Amino acid sequence: MLRRDFIKSAMAGTALGALGPAARAIASTDILWMTWENLAKDDYLAPFLDSRDISITKTFIGTDDEQFAKLRAGGASSVDLITPGLDKVEYYTASDLLQPIDFEKVPNAALLYDTFKATSLGKVDGETYGIPFYWGINPIVYRADLMDEEPDWSVFFEGDAYNGKLAMRDYALEGIMIAAMYLGIPEDEMFHMDDKQLAEIKKVLMIQKSKLRTYWNSIGDLTNLFATGEVVCAFSWVPPYYDLKAKGIEMGMAKPKQGVIGWCDTIAVPKGVSGARLDATFELVNYLLGEEYGKMLAVGGPYAQSTSAARDLLTEEEQDKIFIKDLSVMDNFVWKQNPPRYNEWVALWNEVKAS
Amino acid sequence: MRRSILSVGDWLALPVVAALIALCCAPLLILLAYSFFQVDFVTISHDLTLANYAKIAGSETYRSLIARAFGSALLVVALTAVIAYPVAWFIAKRVHAAKSTLLTLLLVPLYSGDLIRIFAWRVLLGAEGAINRSLMWLNVIDEPLSGLLFSPLATHIALTYNYLPFMVIGLWLAFESLDDRWLEAAADLGAPTHARFLRVILPLTVPGLVAGGLMVFVMVAGDYLTPQLLGGASGITIISAINDLFGTAFDWPLGSAIAWTMLSILMLCFGLGALAIRRSSLVAEDV
Repeated sequence: MLRRDFIKSAMAGTALGALGPAARAIASTDILWMTWENLAKDDYLAPFLDSRDISITKTFIGTDDEQFAKLRAGGASSVDLITPGLDKVEYYTASDLLQPIDFEKVPNAALLYDTFKATSLGKVDGETYGIPFYWGINPIVYRADLMDEEPDWSVFFEGDAYNGKLAMRDYALEGIMIAAMYLGIPEDEMFHMDDKQLAEIKKVLMIQKSKLRTYWNSIGDLTNLFATGEVVCAFSWVPPYYDLKAKGIEMGMAKPKQGVIGWCDTIAVPKGVSGARLDATFELVNYLLGEEYGKMLAVGGPYAQSTSAARDLLTEEEQDKIFIKDLSVMDNFVWKQNPPRYNEWVALWNEVKAS
Repeated sequence: MRRSILSVGDWLALPVVAALIALCCAPLLILLAYSFFQVDFVTISHDLTLANYAKIAGSETYRSLIARAFGSALLVVALTAVIAYPVAWFIAKRVHAAKSTLLTLLLVPLYSGDLIRIFAWRVLLGAEGAINRSLMWLNVIDEPLSGLLFSPLATHIALTYNYLPFMVIGLWLAFESLDDRWLEAAADLGAPTHARFLRVILPLTVPGLVAGGLMVFVMVAGDYLTPQLLGGASGITIISAINDLFGTAFDWPLGSAIAWTMLSILMLCFGLGALAIRRSSLVAEDV
């Protein structure tokens, strides 16, 4: 049994959901997509599958690192489409795991927002290997009923009004980026900091640690901490803001002027994909950047696609929810990148936590 | 007639034992090999080096995290031993009809899963938790005690609770095999209570104490979820540091070296534990 066939059989349960009508079970081409569960809901993919002789087998990832480890361990030959973070594409290209995107087969890529067209991330020698797919921001979320004013990054480093009531994500990359933004280190220097700058970062992170209630690891846990009042302000993802507002808690979301961390996931095609499977995969990539999928993702996610395809189909409220009503929000973004000295960043982060 | 060295049963068991050894050892040996490699971005260089072990020895962070893991484990072993001793004695020597019921009850919390137990402790220890609310209702405190949750105290309370059953079971088995006639003889010879405990009960239950202690020690040293979710900003453990190295930093060689350092120390502890059991058996034989 071929490796690919084995994986397909093992994932039969997952595949059933995507295949839907029996007709799809005999589709001439099957695409194996490694992705996050929230991106591959059956109703999001139904219009694509209903009009084509293609089926999709889904395999879900828990973290970006897990996805890379699977491909690195030899999984690239069995997967047709993956979903790496924009800052992580470099890992895959350095490991020679991806093939360039054929833009002729992805006409919707012409609708990418300018910031994604211009970014050098996901590219090697001008060729795009990871095409921006969907994006969002990681803001400060806070209990508006328990804080006097909208916070910025300084709340994690100055004053003592909220000591023991703050939380920070346990993630070296973002934790150090926030300290760098607080210290005013410009974006073009941020990912290439020298020893002196890293020493400054460590100093302020030690101050930050003394003010924290905890470092959070799952967004569900952070939502819980907000709800119980253990934490009043945190560097967060967006979901707790909407989830707790819906439960009647007065929440606030701050996008500090010093910079907001933007994230973006891409879609990328492993190197071994070819022939009919490659054509079908690019057809799917084009669909994922198109208006039908974009609208469903915006309403159901709510997440913003990297193209403007669905923007005009959304109400102003829906646009506002996913930050595309006023695109100038992107001017203040600091996109996550992969620092060349990342091992030292992780060591520094652990030193602070262990202190 | 001379018997064959290996019986039929031994031959039948051999493939299973061999498979088990291979499945247990192979991943550990791969980990050991990785610990002598180096990483350059996403490329693992296979040139053998001791650099990772030198990095661990030279890093105050990793040294202190390893020491903290074993310190925590020792503390929890001591706490569980103190609590488990009377419980195990009671179940073994004072309960007859309901013995299996009590042992089953002891294991009930283990059926609920780590996360559920951790969140139950949060409900108890949190700012709006049962303890703080009760103390405030009784006017003992004016505002919630924040140090109850997200602190080393919370971590060690939960760890002690989580692993207590393993210590009780180890000690219960030791008490079950303790012949009461030794105690009667010691009493007849005029030994006071403390002397009967120190010179008869303790030496004869050491195997149970060591067996339970080793189980608790290993599990606490390897537990990162409880410190992470209850320990607050100080909840980092050496296991979560290894997780960071294998995950976000893609430094598998350093992560492997730390894992093997931990494993070596644990094996040393097992060796010492086995020695203690052997010596206590000799003592028991002498008795």
